[in-house]
Amino acid sequence: MQRTEIRRKPRNRFRNLLPFWLILPTVVVILAIQVYPAFYTVWLSLHQRQPRGWDYVGVDNFQRLFRMGVFGESVGHTIVFLIGYTTLTLVLGFIIALLLNRKLKLSGLYITVLFVPWIIADIIVGIVFRLLVVPDYGLLSGILQNPAIFPPNGISVLTASRPPSWFGGFPFPPAPAMIYLIMASAWRALPFITLLLLAAMQTVSNEIIESSRMDGANGWQVVRHILIPLMLPTLVVALFSLTLGGMNGVGMVFSLTGGGPGTSTEVLSYLLYVLGWSQLEFGRAAALALLIAVVNWALILATLRITRVEERSH
Amino acid sequence: MKRAWTILVFALLLGFVFAACAAPAAPSAPGEAAPAAQVRDFITWYQYDEKNEDPASDERVGNQYLRDTIPQFNEAFAGKWRWVNQPKAWDRMTAELVAAVQAGGDVPDLFEMGSSGLTELYKNGALQDLREWASAQSWYADMDPNALQACTGPDGGLYCIPIAERPHLVYVWKDRFPEGFPTRPEGYLAAGERLKAEGLYAMTFFGSTDFNGNGATRAVFMAFASFGGGYDDGQGNMLLNRPENVAAVEFLRTMVQSGYVPEIAFAGGFQEEEAFKDASAGSFPTGLFGYRYVNPLTAPNGTKYSKGNEEDMLDAIAAGDVILRPFPAPEGKTPGCNNEVTGFGIPVGAKNPEAAHDYINWIMSPEQNADWVLRPGAGFPALLTTRASEQFQTPFYRQAGEVVAASACRPWHGSLERRPEALRLIMGAVYRLIKEDPSLDIATELQRAQDEYNAGG
Repeated sequence: MQRTEIRRKPRNRFRNLLPFWLILPTVVVILAIQVYPAFYTVWLSLHQRQPRGWDYVGVDNFQRLFRMGVFGESVGHTIVFLIGYTTLTLVLGFIIALLLNRKLKLSGLYITVLFVPWIIADIIVGIVFRLLVVPDYGLLSGILQNPAIFPPNGISVLTASRPPSWFGGFPFPPAPAMIYLIMASAWRALPFITLLLLAAMQTVSNEIIESSRMDGANGWQVVRHILIPLMLPTLVVALFSLTLGGMNGVGMVFSLTGGGPGTSTEVLSYLLYVLGWSQLEFGRAAALALLIAVVNWALILATLRITRVEERSH
Repeated sequence: MKRAWTILVFALLLGFVFAACAAPAAPSAPGEAAPAAQVRDFITWYQYDEKNEDPASDERVGNQYLRDTIPQFNEAFAGKWRWVNQPKAWDRMTAELVAAVQAGGDVPDLFEMGSSGLTELYKNGALQDLREWASAQSWYADMDPNALQACTGPDGGLYCIPIAERPHLVYVWKDRFPEGFPTRPEGYLAAGERLKAEGLYAMTFFGSTDFNGNGATRAVFMAFASFGGGYDDGQGNMLLNRPENVAAVEFLRTMVQSGYVPEIAFAGGFQEEEAFKDASAGSFPTGLFGYRYVNPLTAPNGTKYSKGNEEDMLDAIAAGDVILRPFPAPEGKTPGCNNEVTGFGIPVGAKNPEAAHDYINWIMSPEQNADWVLRPGAGFPALLTTRASEQFQTPFYRQAGEVVAASACRPWHGSLERRPEALRLIMGAVYRLIKEDPSLDIATELQRAQDEYNAGG
């Protein structure tokens, strides 16, 4: 009896440890490509490079970041961009999903065509949208810069100055380039969001909608009181995806406006790119990356909190 | 039995992981003999790509240069070095090198670089000090001292070997200025008014804040320097707010706000060149190397230069349609311009610095030097004896030489060490003043940019 127990022990130990060994490769990969870089970013944010090596500078990188004139501007631009981008994409995505949900003829074709922007790299989308509006030479510049169509002087999207701000230093109303950037970004994100919302819409039972109509609900009431509440988890996922993508994406800004004209489309992610890869200020770039990460977390937590409250109230 | 299967599956999984992670074997071309054991790879990072044979590529000159010279070098050093070039994007090379050096990754043996990026590479510990080695070479005494100075780091070390100097000047459509290209700012403004009445522009220039404010190295610096100003105080501090700079900004602001500059000058992406290509803008202050990128051309008289390569501008100059001139300067001032150096650095951690030494000596040879300067260098030779050679007596180089002789050219950065940060601040301030909000007080904005830079030390 005792010998059998002794023989079983190694086998049990192996069985107990097997899950650990199986997840070990994943853990190692996560440690290597996520946890280590995160700690390294914290370390970098407290150091500054000198020819002989790294100097510990405490919070100096953060202080220098806050002293930069363009930092405050970038925060404002990021807020304007995120609000415009998420709102436009969600509203348009929802409307298109509603249309596609009507079982139109050739709806499969529409969905396929709709998906095209999603498969194009954002940097390419930026270049194409840029070529459309290059002043004097772009495909649409003849229309946009025509004073008869857009009085008094026409619009030069990539070079027009921002209008006077309504709220002190906050960049609102945005420059035409920022509006164009929002439109281009929304155009690219629209297919994914539309399909996401369409899939969620198709899970809503027709019986509920039909019975609400029999009770006299109009189209807007069906959307407001049935579709939106039932689709709320999906809407939150869409909002997450758009907010985080908009917060961290740099390709579109890089290729479409280069942060310009002036600094009028310079968002935080682009500033991060400039600090790290143009100015080689890795310490300050790491400090900014940490701030962006904190904002990302705050956004996620706030959205989750709002969603829970909404779900409870329904 | 079950346990044996589990172990087998686990072992297989590990096998897959290790196989996936293992370095792939170096591919060898079929029929190609294995290289002799003593032949080592000499790795370079150029902004050019010898494998890119696209005739429409912006970098076709450099690409072709590498295609031509890689076999020559390999032949000259047969049995010793085999040149392997790794092409890099011009505006990412510095960052990639710094990242590679700091991460302990693979770095090239030789790095093509400009003097503008020197301080970032120096500060990040990415380059070797070549002073001791270079000063022992026969060509060292023949170097233009200004070029050597441009390659000197803050500690006095020599961090690059200069091969070509690239001054800035003004490309001019001769017929747009029938009374001659103005030598004074007032004349430039008068020409602007005249051309505006014809639906044309006096000048196009890199007026955007694109490429981290690179415009501040071009026409903006030419204007500042020609008015007697500059960006630094000679002690490493930024000095923007001074009367000469204020006057230069006032001049640029008048040019822009009066409509003497096309809107595309502010679009970024080097699209300001379009207005010179079709001659809608009469002049284009930029680097000497600009001739390579600005094509095809249509002259004001309708002549088309449409080979679609660097020969278009050279042909237009030879035909007299395009002339080269210094930037207009006020009475009593000398036209100013930026002069940068391009050459080579040897990164810290290079596996074969001897190969880089051999390569630099090879490039300094009379057979190779002029070729490098004329093609990838697109400037004047840093070696004084090469300047006298026949290749630099063409109409293009003769005119450029006259412009440089009539100008006071110097590196835009002067004593500034945080150059990318300085560029961005300067160009941002100038853009706001001349384009975005012409009602802003010039001295106040220049002072603001200056204070931000000087506080950042």
